[in-house]
Amino acid sequence: MIFDYGAIWDNRDILVGGVFNTLLISCIAIPIGIFVGMAICLMRISKQRLLRWPAIVYIELMRNIPLLILIFMMFYALPFYGVRVSGLTTGIICLSIYGSAYFAEVFRGGVESVSKGQFDAARALGLKYGFYMRRVILPQLYTYVYPPGTNIALTMIKESSLLSMITVAELTYAAHDINGRTFTPVETFATIAVIYWVICTLFLKFAQMLQSRSDPNDSSTSMVFR
Amino acid sequence: MDLQFFEIIPKSGPLFVGALYTIFVGLVACGVGVLVGTGLLLMRNSRFWLLRIFVGIYGSFIRGTPALVQILVFYYALAPLTGINIGPFTAGIMAVGFNSGAYVAEILRGGLSRISKGQWEAAEALGLPKHKVWFKVVLPQVFNSVIPLLVNEFTMVIKITPLLSTITLVELTRASQMLYNETFRPVEVLLLAAFIYFVICFSISQFGEHLQRRSQKFRL
Repeated sequence: MIFDYGAIWDNRDILVGGVFNTLLISCIAIPIGIFVGMAICLMRISKQRLLRWPAIVYIELMRNIPLLILIFMMFYALPFYGVRVSGLTTGIICLSIYGSAYFAEVFRGGVESVSKGQFDAARALGLKYGFYMRRVILPQLYTYVYPPGTNIALTMIKESSLLSMITVAELTYAAHDINGRTFTPVETFATIAVIYWVICTLFLKFAQMLQSRSDPNDSSTSMVFR
Repeated sequence: MDLQFFEIIPKSGPLFVGALYTIFVGLVACGVGVLVGTGLLLMRNSRFWLLRIFVGIYGSFIRGTPALVQILVFYYALAPLTGINIGPFTAGIMAVGFNSGAYVAEILRGGLSRISKGQWEAAEALGLPKHKVWFKVVLPQVFNSVIPLLVNEFTMVIKITPLLSTITLVELTRASQMLYNETFRPVEVLLLAAFIYFVICFSISQFGEHLQRRSQKFRL
């Protein structure tokens, strides 16, 4: 068995483009996911049934349907209803929707971990809902939300590989492309596995570095997320 | 632009066959995952530092690469590298199983940390050999305490199985792709597939939560 890494080096511009698109998708989808997730979480913990129930349905649907099915559905359904967008946009929408449900659950877990006394005290002081949520509860969420939130962001980077199925030219698609040109599956797929690993490890190290300013331990406790 | 479910429902037989196949693949892969996870747990607690380092690297690699890429590597790289010609089924089961194993090991590690020190000391005081301490004393307790989490892991595995459609395994996703290529009704077929996935995953996860509640009740 002879490895032909020259074939990959010759097509490096395709790989670089793939890495760029993967990072681009992640950089757009993760912040959208966080913000939408925050909104869904507020709906989920609200006392109004009309707000709470749609949020529950949304979260349960997104958590129990595989992302690939969601991606295919969006890819076929959007043109079906006359919305013409590129595969990249469809992919970013899907990934954000998918991530937002998980982020919502993480935020809810955080809000529930903040002690009840904080809510009671804020209300006893006569603070308005919006004010105490923003100024009292939100700052305390950080330590509870950070480690699982990092894991979900990591998951989203990895799940972006599924967008290759709807011909978004990200890293996995680039690998298929190179494989189709040079027929070197072992080398290409091994290479992109390493690239993904480097991206994810760097992201994790960066996140841990940011976190260590506030709380140095427990970032490895919640690895069960995917 | 109406959805026309009546057109596809009479033809949806393959979808249900695919769903059964998905569950079957999920169960087998989960079994592989539990075996690999147990192996990793034992290796992590082994005397040899080389094995401990291997577990660390393995976990990092599984966590740091997408499941899709792992499946592709298994399918395309294993045959040329080892010379063994494995079919898509074996490759898929192994890829998903080895992926799941890293997460199962993590779950088991959590269960292991809850085993009280007295159990180890009692087993040692009784003069049990090492393998009996593990397989007769510690592991049964670990598995007993993590069963709800393992059920949850099973839903995770079910949610990875759509990726196996890329390596031509005819499970639910592949079956629905074949159906909408035939009927030209992708939205309806995919909605139906999504519904089936939802029913499978939701009922399993509710079952897991039920087990969790029950185990908490018994622990108090």
